[in-house]
Amino acid sequence: MLRLPVLATAVIIALLATYWSIAQITASRRLASLEPLEARGSYRITLDFAPERFHQVRLQEAGRLVEVRGSTVYMKDVTPAALRGIAAEYWVRDVARWNGS
Amino acid sequence: MSTVLTAPLPAAARVGPRLSRVVKGSVGVLALLAAWQLSVPLVGLGPYFYPAPSDVVVAFADLVRKGILPVYFADSMARYFAGLAAGALLGVGLGTLIGLSPVVSRALTPLLRFLFAIVEVAWIPIFVIWFGYGVKTIVLALVYVVFFPVLYNTLLGVRTAPQILVNALRSLGASPLQVLRHAILPAALPSIITGLRVGAGFAFRGLVFAEIVAAKTGIGYLIFEGTQTQQTARTIVGMIIMGLTWLALDVCYLRPLERATVQRWGLTVDAERRT
Repeated sequence: MLRLPVLATAVIIALLATYWSIAQITASRRLASLEPLEARGSYRITLDFAPERFHQVRLQEAGRLVEVRGSTVYMKDVTPAALRGIAAEYWVRDVARWNGS
Repeated sequence: MSTVLTAPLPAAARVGPRLSRVVKGSVGVLALLAAWQLSVPLVGLGPYFYPAPSDVVVAFADLVRKGILPVYFADSMARYFAGLAAGALLGVGLGTLIGLSPVVSRALTPLLRFLFAIVEVAWIPIFVIWFGYGVKTIVLALVYVVFFPVLYNTLLGVRTAPQILVNALRSLGASPLQVLRHAILPAALPSIITGLRVGAGFAFRGLVFAEIVAAKTGIGYLIFEGTQTQQTARTIVGMIIMGLTWLALDVCYLRPLERATVQRWGLTVDAERRT
């Protein structure tokens, strides 16, 4: 009788778990070349498109947004945990170190 | 012979009518989509005024690709379920208390009637002043919306619990808590679930309005932001997502829950068929 709610919940949980796992694997792969991460580093975050207000707000939560050039966002004061969070986003194409100038 | 006629249909036999119902239901939607797409060149307005279904599909894909829709959807759902859970708990708790205690009923009924008349839309600006823009204001608005239908349905359920069962349990020496657990709450459960279903529907509408006023993320905000930034197709994506989400919630959770409750503590066959 309650098979449908149970099944729907199981599908949702499975989808979320899959999404989360893929995001973590993607983040590790993207950051592999940047290890060890600095306590507060400067990074160049490249997206597949020009960032909208949503992306700028999300990135500002992770550090100090210095500049946006085309589809690249330049950031300072990004902690390793925050950088991992950014790198896990599927709309981020690339994360690279930036000398901060 | 009669045994054969009254036996429940096997699962495979039930798929046919279900599929036919889905196909019939889809015809209306497809006809609407076709008429909409065909009317776009006839109307001759730009996508800002009158986006085509194809524009909406493109906007949907764009919102997903940019990661906006999943986050907005997750934010909306988190607020919705928080408000729904808190409002339902409060409504069931207070509804039971009012139903059982004449003293509490006399003390609270006038106040509740007064508050019932004030729609949540009127409260939201006050909540914004008190709690600022964001989650607290939205959840509180949803609690307010869910609370009343759940409360009044709980009250109805508790007051219409079969007195003969209550008396029987009392005469057998049951404590008030046992009477509540074994007679009153099971009898009230179908009403509570109906109230929850009504409240869940109201909360969905309330969510959109609360997010338009008090949020910077969420499907309600997407609907608002779309028109502000002249991306009307995004507004329509938000509207469609809201509609589909409600359908999914109702079909996958609320309706089966109501049906199961009615069958378990069941009152009438009509109540079941009503869904």
